[in-house]
Amino acid sequence: MAYMPDERRMQAMADVTVSNAHSTYSGYQSLVRLYEATKGSWGDTISVELAIWFNANLAAPLGAILDGVVESLNEVSLDKLPPEIKTILQKNGFLAHFGYPALRDTNDTTIKYLKLRPSDGRYFNQYVLSELLGRSELPTLSADLRKKIAESIYEIFVNAQTHSETRHNYTCGQFFPQRNTIEFTICDAGIGFRTSIKRRFGKDLPAKRAIQWATAVGHTTKSDTPGGIGLAIMKEFIAKNRGALQIVSNDGFYELNESGENLRDFNGEFPGTIVTMIINTNDRFSYGVAEAEATYSVF
Amino acid sequence: MDALRLSVFNIVGNSFCVEADDGQKVFERIASALKADKRVELSFQNVEMLTSAFLNTAVGRLYRDFTEELIRDSLQVVQMDATDLALLKRVVETAKLFYKDPERLQRSINELMES
Repeated sequence: MAYMPDERRMQAMADVTVSNAHSTYSGYQSLVRLYEATKGSWGDTISVELAIWFNANLAAPLGAILDGVVESLNEVSLDKLPPEIKTILQKNGFLAHFGYPALRDTNDTTIKYLKLRPSDGRYFNQYVLSELLGRSELPTLSADLRKKIAESIYEIFVNAQTHSETRHNYTCGQFFPQRNTIEFTICDAGIGFRTSIKRRFGKDLPAKRAIQWATAVGHTTKSDTPGGIGLAIMKEFIAKNRGALQIVSNDGFYELNESGENLRDFNGEFPGTIVTMIINTNDRFSYGVAEAEATYSVF
Repeated sequence: MDALRLSVFNIVGNSFCVEADDGQKVFERIASALKADKRVELSFQNVEMLTSAFLNTAVGRLYRDFTEELIRDSLQVVQMDATDLALLKRVVETAKLFYKDPERLQRSINELMES
């Protein structure tokens, strides 16, 4: 980041806008800008404005960034919110962490914002049960698809638990009935794929390449236990579902969608890893394995 | 000789078998039985949710300490649903490869750096 005299830097940190943030490369870039504009601040009041649009699932990485800001004894003010953004972030519980009362979601489209320690797996079980598996108001989801989504979410959660060295995981989702999609994000404020690979193999890959490597079958940074199946399974699921998988780690962006894989760099970095699944809820693909194909001779 | 029946649900204490730490508990029970020359029947009755992370630790790690032949002859899985069996099969294939060629991952990183 370019050097700025203290006075200008203070001014820039005082008011930061995240504008028109969707689950897209440019949406994540606006969060990266927020992190870059606020990192290194100490004892300030930082006003964050969310303008035009803010995808509710992005509350997860926003929470991770703002927690870092608050930990440096800054005060965060979220008082410049358009009414629609404010309402949805109250309904999903995000703004309750920043001085607002929670609101009841009468449309039943939110998947709650949750911040938890990696060791709090039991709370995460309850969350997946109450927010996904047990939701009768998501009728378009077949039982098969529901289980497949929950499995993918667990794979990401335990991946972060094992590798990221984060203090907290952040999750949030949103159901878009008009678009027939669920957008679900899990993020951490941990070391990221690049550092994990560098520590294990002594090589410093660009972040986007590090992410891509980690999504291939059998690729793991664990030295004593096999692994590298979770992200690969998720890629297969997303391809069948005709959804999308996005991974942000440090300054790298990876996306898998119907057009294939797309790798890009950010201008700046995110302090951890974000994984977003965009799931097509109109999916009639059968994810079950026929009993006849199942075999107990697996060893 | 009758096989020792181990209930995954009972060892973990939960129908959600997703965390690697819980997989470690299952691994330790299977490993101590195999070391005592016992045959093991691993039951997944009442298990609702599994992850590869759990199975990598519970079962995949066995390939570090025991031969493929011994595992094939001594370990049997029962009451597992078809999709979970498919996942277990992948875990086993990955584990065999992982311990057979430990340098494979380092090579793939080196190749990526050179490309």
